[in-house]
Amino acid sequence: MEPFRRFDRSTSLFIGLLIVSFLTATIDVRSQGAGIGDTLREGTQSLFAPVQQAASVVTRPIVGFVDGISNIAGLRDENERLVNRIKELEAQVQDVVGLQNRLEELERINDLDPPGDLAAVTARIFSVGTSEFDHIRWIDRGTDDGVVEGHTVIDEDGLVGRVDFATESRARVRLISDPNNGVGVRDLSTNETGIVEGQGSGPLRLRMFNPELSVDEGDLIVTEGGRFAPGIVVGSVAVSATAEAGFSLITEVTAAVDFTRIDFVKVIVGWLPSEFSGPPEPGDPIPDAPDPFEGN
Amino acid sequence: MSGKQIIYALLLTLGGLVLQTTLFGESRIEPFGSSPNLVLLLVVICAAYLEPEPALLVAFTSGLLTDLLGGSVIGLWAISMVVVAYITLRVRRRIDDGVIVVAAGLLALSVLGQAIFAIAGTLFGQQVFADPGWYRQIVLPSLYNVVIAALLIPIVSKIMGGRQVRRLV
Repeated sequence: MEPFRRFDRSTSLFIGLLIVSFLTATIDVRSQGAGIGDTLREGTQSLFAPVQQAASVVTRPIVGFVDGISNIAGLRDENERLVNRIKELEAQVQDVVGLQNRLEELERINDLDPPGDLAAVTARIFSVGTSEFDHIRWIDRGTDDGVVEGHTVIDEDGLVGRVDFATESRARVRLISDPNNGVGVRDLSTNETGIVEGQGSGPLRLRMFNPELSVDEGDLIVTEGGRFAPGIVVGSVAVSATAEAGFSLITEVTAAVDFTRIDFVKVIVGWLPSEFSGPPEPGDPIPDAPDPFEGN
Repeated sequence: MSGKQIIYALLLTLGGLVLQTTLFGESRIEPFGSSPNLVLLLVVICAAYLEPEPALLVAFTSGLLTDLLGGSVIGLWAISMVVVAYITLRVRRRIDDGVIVVAAGLLALSVLGQAIFAIAGTLFGQQVFADPGWYRQIVLPSLYNVVIAALLIPIVSKIMGGRQVRRLV
């Protein structure tokens, strides 16, 4: 241990920086992500995004290569009789598979009709969170493309998350797996409503408002409206559950979306929750909730 | 202490931040569901080469940028990285004790950095511990950091001029 001198310059600076950090965090929490915090985020994002996008072009093939290797390793037993053939094609496949997957995903997502024929824009993810605790994605579309805070984000499998910050050309999507995110949902089997909460790397947690009716494994869970566009598949009930002592009904939901694989997404720009779009004016048409089975 | 070293340290951590957000994490390289915390690792390594004040300022800047590019409250990673850099400054003399001590120190500092973020995050409403795998999110990145440090330390040492690790006197 190095000798500790009380209040030497570095200790004073250390304490000062800690105080500044705590104050910054407090101000950011108090301003609820608006004000100076947003300005700083916007500025930093403007500086870093071009570098991140360029770096992403370089790192994508590396990620694809690693992904390809891990997939091959996982399927080795099952495909034993194909090993010789795989070896012949491996070199070609590793180059092609990543591109092909992305092309297919892009085609699927462009064929995808958002619920209720709401307007949507396709976006690509170029950056992820800065740590294990971050459940966000940065997409290459922003306010210039009509993407604003509050917009729902989906992919071909279902609900991905919600835009919680947007600059002119980029936006941050907070995934539904984020513990700070809650989604109002409906169980299509019982028509009962509840809330799905993220648990980070764990499965989604479903809490039903009415604990009297049980939920069964496989029940389809869709968004109910509120903060997310209605009728979007969130996932399916992973474990059947009945109320415990009549107080609560909590179970797990398997997300429809594989968060580790999303690359392209669609932002539903034709729907905003009331907290962002403001209260309805007299004479405004009452929107119909889209039929979740439409097009299935 | 040359200004060049400070600039190099900043560039290294910024490069780490760009790699962290484009190469590692969900949808990217994430063995066993976790990825290293490159920025934290670079802050620790750079703190071993810099004077105390610049080391703390580099840590603070890196932490702040990590917060700004991430989804958490601004200032949480800054707290974590400043604390880790300060402890590194206090214990860096032990680098002379050998590889095992360095590896154990890096592991401990990485765990500490992640844990401080998790605790500070909880205090500021981030619900980090709502994730049933929170302990894995703290331990696995720290283990990866130790492995990656074996590659990074020689590179950083070369960039920073290959000089002896500084001591607080």
